Amino acid sequence: MSDSESLLEEKRARLCQHLDASVERLAAARDFAKPAKLSPVLDNARRLLLAGGAAELEQRAPALEQAGVFAGTDWAYPQILLPALTCHALTSPDSTVVVIESLSELRLLAVALGDYKHELISAEQAHHYLTQVLAMNLAMLFSPPSEAERTLQGRLAQVPRALLQHLAERIGYEHIIDKLIAEIWRILRQRPVQVDAVKQMITQIAICRGSANFSVNGDGGGETLMQGTERLVSSLYGPTQLCREDPGVQVYLERLGNVDSSALQSEAYGFARAMHDTGLVSPYHAVFVRFICEHHAHLLVDALGLSGTGRDCLLCYHDLVMALVQHAITADTPQAVFGLTLLLERGILYQPAVAPSLWRQIGLPLSEWSSQRLSTVFGNAVPPRTRLLEGVVLVLGLPLGIGQGNNPTCQSARAISIWSYIDPDFLLQLITCAARDDEIVMHFEGQPISSSPVLTNALQPLPVDLDPVSIVLVPHLDYIYNEMGRLCLGREGDPHRWINPEFHGWRVGRGFRINVDVGTGTIVDIEDFIRHFYAYYHPYFNGNQPLIHPQPAGLAVTDSAARFIGWHAITIQRAALDPKGVMRVYFFNPNNDSGQDWGDGVVVSTANNGEQFGESSLEFEQFASRIYIFHYDTQERGEPAQVSADAVERIKAYISRSWGQDRGLGEAHPAPRVGEA
Amino acid sequence: MEPNPEKGYVALLGWSLNAVEAAADFDRRYIVVAPDWAEDYCKQHDIPYMPWNFERLNERSMEIAEKLKQQGVDVAIPLYEETVEWAGAINSVLLDKPRLLGQSMLMRDKSLMKRRAQLGGIRVGIFEEAHDRDDVIRFLRRVNQTLLKLDGDPNDPIHFKAFDKAGCLGHRVIRTPDDVDAIPDEEFPALIESHLDGWEFAVEAWIHNGEICFLNISEYVRLGYSVHVPASPELEKYRDQIRQQIEKLIKVFDIDFGFVHPEYFVTNDGEMYFGEVAYRPPGFKVFELLERVYGFNAYQALELVFDPKTTPEEIKAFFPREIVDADGYAGCFGVYPRRRVVSRLEIPEETEDHPYFESHELTPPVQETVTKRTAFGTHWGLIYFRGEDPKEMHRLLKRQEELDFYV
Repeated sequence: MSDSESLLEEKRARLCQHLDASVERLAAARDFAKPAKLSPVLDNARRLLLAGGAAELEQRAPALEQAGVFAGTDWAYPQILLPALTCHALTSPDSTVVVIESLSELRLLAVALGDYKHELISAEQAHHYLTQVLAMNLAMLFSPPSEAERTLQGRLAQVPRALLQHLAERIGYEHIIDKLIAEIWRILRQRPVQVDAVKQMITQIAICRGSANFSVNGDGGGETLMQGTERLVSSLYGPTQLCREDPGVQVYLERLGNVDSSALQSEAYGFARAMHDTGLVSPYHAVFVRFICEHHAHLLVDALGLSGTGRDCLLCYHDLVMALVQHAITADTPQAVFGLTLLLERGILYQPAVAPSLWRQIGLPLSEWSSQRLSTVFGNAVPPRTRLLEGVVLVLGLPLGIGQGNNPTCQSARAISIWSYIDPDFLLQLITCAARDDEIVMHFEGQPISSSPVLTNALQPLPVDLDPVSIVLVPHLDYIYNEMGRLCLGREGDPHRWINPEFHGWRVGRGFRINVDVGTGTIVDIEDFIRHFYAYYHPYFNGNQPLIHPQPAGLAVTDSAARFIGWHAITIQRAALDPKGVMRVYFFNPNNDSGQDWGDGVVVSTANNGEQFGESSLEFEQFASRIYIFHYDTQERGEPAQVSADAVERIKAYISRSWGQDRGLGEAHPAPRVGEA
Repeated sequence: MEPNPEKGYVALLGWSLNAVEAAADFDRRYIVVAPDWAEDYCKQHDIPYMPWNFERLNERSMEIAEKLKQQGVDVAIPLYEETVEWAGAINSVLLDKPRLLGQSMLMRDKSLMKRRAQLGGIRVGIFEEAHDRDDVIRFLRRVNQTLLKLDGDPNDPIHFKAFDKAGCLGHRVIRTPDDVDAIPDEEFPALIESHLDGWEFAVEAWIHNGEICFLNISEYVRLGYSVHVPASPELEKYRDQIRQQIEKLIKVFDIDFGFVHPEYFVTNDGEMYFGEVAYRPPGFKVFELLERVYGFNAYQALELVFDPKTTPEEIKAFFPREIVDADGYAGCFGVYPRRRVVSRLEIPEETEDHPYFESHELTPPVQETVTKRTAFGTHWGLIYFRGEDPKEMHRLLKRQEELDFYV
C-alpha cells in the first residue's frame, strides 16, 4: 500500500468514527431535535464519499436510515422515487441534496444486493431503479465535470462521480449497458407519447460510446446489443445516408437542395424505417418532411412509411395534413411526425367531426393561462400553439401512449386515453375548452361542475411532467373528478360507481361490482365477483362478444413480493386469445412504464403476447386476481354459473397469496378512496 | 427521562431548541414560554408550552407571573437578552423577592451596569452615555486628547454599544467622525467607551446560593469570530484572579443564584477591566463547546442552579472538575463571507481535512450579493473544531479568518 493510500485509509477511518458518532446523536435525538442533528451526519457522509468511502456508507445504510436521515422527505419512500429526478439532485449546488440523494442510492444498493431487507422496496425493484439511475447519469460515470458543473458545484461535483463509480462497480458495468439498452427497447415498444427521458438515456449512450471503458457484455448477445445501440443512437442523430455523421440541420437542409430525386426517395425510406423501428423521430426527419411538403409532396407517403389505410387517409385529407405538417412539425417537435403517421393509420379522420375539429385546433388561440403553462414546462423554442398541436397529434396517434407522470391522478390520463381511442372529437372539444376558454363544464347527475376555479385556487402544485395536451387538460379534469368525489361524500359504498360513468361518458357500463367492503377493507362476495367478471368479459362465458367500449376498472397493485401497494385505475381494452391460444386481458395502464412484476408469478407483459403498442396484458386468471372494481352493462347477462369451480379457487388462491392476505379476517385495512391512483 | 415531582418546576423564557431538548432529557418538569408562533410546533411535538409575547415590560407583566405561579412553576430562566427583565419580574413574584426585578434591570442596561460595577470597586474603562452623534464625537475627541494625540495622528478607536442589545449586535468600533455619521438613529442612546489594548475574554459562571458552582473561561481568538474552551494555559494562569473578580461581581450585583456571562479585559500588566455582564446563556454556542469537552449539558446546568429545590449534593455530582476533566479543546469559528458576490458554499479543503475539524452549520447562500457589514453583525454560521493542542487550536481558528467559505 502506498503512502497516499494509507493516508486516505486513515482519513476514512477517522471520518467513519465521526460519522458513527453523529449518526448515534441523530438516532438518540427526539423528533423535534432531529433536523439540527442531521447536518453533521450529511457533512461527514459527504467527506467520506470524497475520501472514497462509498463502501463504508453502503455498510451503514440501515443504521443511517433508522437514525432518520430520510425522515420527513420523499426519500423515506424509496418505492416512489423516480430515476429521472436523480439527474437534478446529483448536480444540485446544494450539498444537502446531493448527499441525501447519494445516501439513498447507497441504501438501495444495499437493498439490491440483498444486504438490507427493506420494508418498502424489494431487491429487484432496487436493482431496477439503480440500473436506471446509472443509465440516466451515464455521462458522469465516463466524463469529468463539465465547466458548468464545476462552477455550480465545485468540489461537490466529485461526490456524484464517486457514488456512481461505486454503484457501477458493485452492480457491474456490463449490467448497466446491457440492461440500459434492453430497457430502452422495452420502453420504446410501448410507444409512449413522452420520450424525453428515453432520448436523454440514448444521448448519454451516444456520449459515452467513444470512451475506453465502455463495452457491452461479451457473452453471446454482444453483437446484437451493439447493433441495438447503433439503431437507437442513429434513429436520433443520423438515421439516413445524408445525415449519417450528424452534420446539423442547416447543413442537412443545404444538402437536400442539391440531391436528385432518387436520393430524396431513399432518404424518405430511411427515415420511415428508423421511425417505425424505434418510435423515435430525428430532428432531421422533421426538417425533411417540411422540405418535401414544399417541393416534393408526393414523397410524404414514403417519408411517413404509410400503409394503404394511411395513404388513403392522407390523400383524402391532403390539405389538412399539409396544414398539420406546417403548424406542428418542427426540428424542436419532431415526434409530431410519428403522431401524424399513426393518426393517419388509425383512420379517425374519416369520422365526420374529427377533421373540422383539427382545423379548429390548428387556428386555436390560446388563453394566457394555457400559454403560460406550456411555455413554463416546455420552454420557448417553439410557440405554445405549436407545442400543443404536436401534443394533439401525438395523443390522437398514440391513445395508449399517454402517461400520468409522477402524479397521483391516474384517472385523468386514463380518461384522455379512452376519449382519444373512441371519441376523438370529444377530446378535441375538451382541449379547446381548456386551452382557449380556461373552463371545462361537465355534469354530474344533472348538476354542472365548472373547472374554472382551478386557475386561481389549485390545491396542490399543478403537474409539470406531462405531455402538452395533459399539461393543459389534466388540471381541469382533476378538479372536476375531485368535485364529483366531493358530491358523493356520505353515499354508501365506493364512489367510483357513480363517478366513472359520469366522468368518462355514457359508454361506461352503469352496472358496477366491487369485491372490497369500503368500510372495513375486507374482501366480500369474492366468488360471485369472479364469476360475474368472467360472465361479462371472458368471450367463452359472454356469448363470444368482444368488448365494445373500453371500460375503466380498478386494480389492487402489488409489488414483486406480492405485497399490496395501492389501488390503481386502468382501462380494460379487450379480452382475446394470444398467439399461443391463451385467453388474456389486454389493458391500458396510465403509469409511465407498464411492464411490472406484481409478484407470485404475475408479471405484466407489454410485448410478444399479442399486445398492440401501449397495451399491457395478463392471462385472464391472473388479471382476475388483481381486479377489484369493474363496470358492466346490466342488460348483458352472460353465464356466471359456467365458470369452473377450479378456476375460481385458483384465483382466490392468487388473491390470498397477495393483496388479500390480511383482508379475509375482518381486520381493519385501508379501504379504497376516491383519487387513489 | 421521567420528571421527578420532588424537584423544581422551571419555565424557559424564549424559544431555544437546544434548551428544550436538554430540558426534555432532564429530570425536572419544564414549560416553554414563547411567542405564539411556537405554539404549533410545541403541540405537534408534545412540548409543554405557554404563549407569551415578550415586548417591553408593561402592566400585564403580572399576568404571566400569576399564570406560571398557578401552574406550580418554581422559577423562570431567561434564554435571551430580551427575556432577562421578564425573568426578573416573574421570579420576584414566584420567589417573593422583589429586588430581583431591580437586579435584572441592571443587567439589561449597559450604562447602569457599568456604574454599579464602578461603585462596587470593580475597574472599568472610561465610559459615557451618548444620546446623539455630537456626544460620540465629543467623547472621541476627548479620549484622543487625553492620549496626547496631535491633529492628523490616527485616532485611538472608541467602542459604541447599543444599551440593550446582546453581545456583538449594535457593537461598533469608531475611529473617525465619518464612522459616527454611519450610526443609525435607532441605536441611540448607547454606551461609549475607550478602547483597551489587551486580551479580551468571557466567563461563564453558574451560581447557586451565592457560590460559584462552575467557572469557565472562554478565550476569544478574535472577538466576534472565534472562541475556544477551556482557555489556553496562558490565560488559565489568571484563573484565581478571575474567580475573585466574579466573586466581587456576585457581591456587587447581589446575585444569589443563576448564571452570569461577563466579559473582561486583561491588560499587559495583568490588570482586569470589567466590560459588561449578561444574565443569560452566551451566544456563539459556548454551551455546545462545553458539552463537547466536559460532557455535561450546560442548559441542564442552568436548570439546576436556578431551581431553588436543588441540593448541594446534586450540584456536586453534576458538575465536572474545572480544567482537569476537560477532554481536549473545543472551538468554533463564525463565518462571514469575504467576497461581495457569492454563489455557493464550499468549505476549504484545508479546513475540513484538518483532524480537528468536527462539523459546520453553514447553509448555502440565499442571496448572491453580500450586504456590507456595519456593526459586528451576524455571522452566516459556525464551524466546530476539537483537538488536544491549544496552540494548534488557536492557530487553526486564526487561520480561518483568511479563508473563503463562500465563493
